[in-house]
Amino acid sequence: MPDRPPPGAPPAAIRVVLADDSVLFREGLARVLAERGFLIVGQAGDAETLHVVVGQADPDVVVTDIRMPPTNTNDGLLAAQRIRDERPGTGVLVLSQYVETRQAIKLLQHAPQRVGYLLKDRVSDIAEFADTLRRIARGGSAIDPDVVAQLLRRRGEDNALTGLTGRERDILALIAEGRSNHAICERLHLSPKTVETHVGSILAKLGLLPAADDHRRVLAVLMYIRNA
Amino acid sequence: MTRRRWWLLTLAVVCAGWALGGEWVSIHRGVPENHLLDLLGGLAFLAGGIIILDRRPGNAIGPLMIAYGIIWYFGNWGNLNVPVLPLLGTSLGQWAGTPILAQIALSYPTGRLRTRFDRAVTGLLYAGAIAINVAILLVFDPRSSGCRACAWEPAPFPSRSAFLVATSAYQHAGAVLAVFFFAAVWLHWRNATPAERRDLAPLWVAVCVIAIIYLLGAFASPFPLAGPFAYLMWELQTLFQIALPVIFVWGLLSARLARSAVGDLMVELDQPLPPGELQSSLSRTLRDPSLELLYALDERDRWVNARGQHRSLPPPGQGNQARTVTLVERDGQPLAALIHDPALDPGLVRAAAAAAGIAIENERLHAEVQAQLEEVRASRQRIVAAGDRERRRVERNLHDGAQQRLATLALSLAMLRDHDGTDPATADALAQALAELRQAIDELRELARGIHPAILTEEGLPAAVESLADRSPLPVRIAADFDTRLPEPTETAAYFVVSEALANVAKYAHASRAQVELSRCNGTLRVEVVDDGVGGADPARGSGLRGLADRVSAMRGSFAVETPPGGGTRVLAEIPCDA
Repeated sequence: MPDRPPPGAPPAAIRVVLADDSVLFREGLARVLAERGFLIVGQAGDAETLHVVVGQADPDVVVTDIRMPPTNTNDGLLAAQRIRDERPGTGVLVLSQYVETRQAIKLLQHAPQRVGYLLKDRVSDIAEFADTLRRIARGGSAIDPDVVAQLLRRRGEDNALTGLTGRERDILALIAEGRSNHAICERLHLSPKTVETHVGSILAKLGLLPAADDHRRVLAVLMYIRNA
Repeated sequence: MTRRRWWLLTLAVVCAGWALGGEWVSIHRGVPENHLLDLLGGLAFLAGGIIILDRRPGNAIGPLMIAYGIIWYFGNWGNLNVPVLPLLGTSLGQWAGTPILAQIALSYPTGRLRTRFDRAVTGLLYAGAIAINVAILLVFDPRSSGCRACAWEPAPFPSRSAFLVATSAYQHAGAVLAVFFFAAVWLHWRNATPAERRDLAPLWVAVCVIAIIYLLGAFASPFPLAGPFAYLMWELQTLFQIALPVIFVWGLLSARLARSAVGDLMVELDQPLPPGELQSSLSRTLRDPSLELLYALDERDRWVNARGQHRSLPPPGQGNQARTVTLVERDGQPLAALIHDPALDPGLVRAAAAAAGIAIENERLHAEVQAQLEEVRASRQRIVAAGDRERRRVERNLHDGAQQRLATLALSLAMLRDHDGTDPATADALAQALAELRQAIDELRELARGIHPAILTEEGLPAAVESLADRSPLPVRIAADFDTRLPEPTETAAYFVVSEALANVAKYAHASRAQVELSRCNGTLRVEVVDDGVGGADPARGSGLRGLADRVSAMRGSFAVETPPGGGTRVLAEIPCDA
């Protein structure tokens, strides 16, 4: 078993491919991630190169900008969807200068795992960004807080969401962003037991079935907020 | 009376004399037949020929009809017991009429045989008639047909069997030529322009009558002794013979009626016409449904129709595609062009154009204004399109330039802040700078989105409108009956309508909800934004709504803001999809 790290050794570094048409941004991000222990196994400046590089480097996670050559529209998004179809084991994090609910849902719709959708400048919160990448590599998801906030602001007035307490709404937002119960505990300085109780109560108030895993929970909650 | 009229009157008197004389001979000789019908059959052609000579001078149909009428009475004169006449009566009187009738039909209505085929058919018919006449002169023996008292010299080679062979050959050849004749008539019809077909309509009636005449001829005999049926057939045949010149004369003179329609046109133009009506008036007057009226702009060789749309003069064309251009000029400058069927009488077209002179000048001015308006509209559309292109360019430059650099800068600042060697005071300052920078990035993003939304270019109108709804502070319901891409200018205009309308709802309407409806119908995109607020929006005051109205009307669309009685505001824009 040559691939498995010896017991007690630190887990293998997460292999990352970066795609962005700005070399400066790409290099900067590569350096930051390398410092945080990620292994940058490839870089690409356009959607086609990205596909080739991913095929060669076999990364755990791909970080790609939405707008890239050749058409400079949503090439990155299309490339991300293609990677997810062809390599279900590879995580994809899509960065964009603008976040759109529609695109977020499109990305999550078929398999709400190993996927993320964030505003581009979230990378400057380096620690948080690194956490997000690890979460995606482990099978989790990440939706930009702006998307969630937008939805909650709009739907906040006239539905079951009004029945939630302030704390419950905070937790609902964090669930929608793709965070696990454990992450929510850390974030809100609450005990795991309390968080679990809140989550159960939220799902019951919204009439959602307790999901088998955290991943499906994200999509269920997002869709609920959006269509409420 | 003119000399011409005197001449025609003389001709008429001579013809009448020839006809009455011939008939008198028949009566005097006691030929048993219906003398009145026989007289009228020839007279109809003679009278018709003289009318056409008078009304359509230069048209060969007139002389041809007179020739037919004169030949008609050869048989009658043949009853006179003087040398040569009986023989001519038997030959010419019986056999020379057919090619003349065919020539009249094939040259109708101009009097000219226009195609080689027409000339060939007519020529062959004449050749056949000459051949049978020569044969009769050579071999016909009147005694063999039982005329013992006939006072004429026998033919040089009298032979009853040769005569029968000659007539039988002529009849067979005649049957073949009849097929060619009908083919020629059909070709006329097929190659005719619509206006020509109108003129050819009487010919069809005439051709049917000719066919009936020849069919009846197979059973007819002018002599009651041949039996009541054959005699009745002859009477019928003669009645149709009388009808034939009537049809030709009526057909040829109906163009005369068109001339009087010019007078009607002048009366009609006495009242001011609605713009664009002049063309249909002229088309009615000249009875040419394909007629087109174009107006000259001041520039050389630029033509517009009554609605100011640019058109070009057609090439001459061939066959039933052929067009004739008649220019209407004033002081040597072209004013308008009538594009019409080549079959129209040029004099008639000029008369109609002269009658419509002032109306043409008026409509030309109107068309000129329309053309200018059209140009202004087009340039407005180009200005809007150029503005949109510029917006997209600015947004792209912001995205690829400033936004990208600021994101990279934020990353660098964050690296410095998190660096182990950075002292706490510097780290604090860096963190503050980073917060400021993030604020700047957010503001720049909103600015860029307002300039031109990326999602509109990327995913189209319904997606972009959904994105607007996502960011709206109040619930917005969207109904779109399509999820396809529309032309870029249409998408952009519709997007800004929804964007501005939703912004107004959020700012002024005090509404609890809004609804956006996008629907496509017959090449038009309908955009409707309704809210349940206080209403009172006025596009004349707010510059945002005013700008939207301008933008939509530049695209030939319509834009309206209404406050229904029940409250709320309804913004409705209809934008063409093909712009």
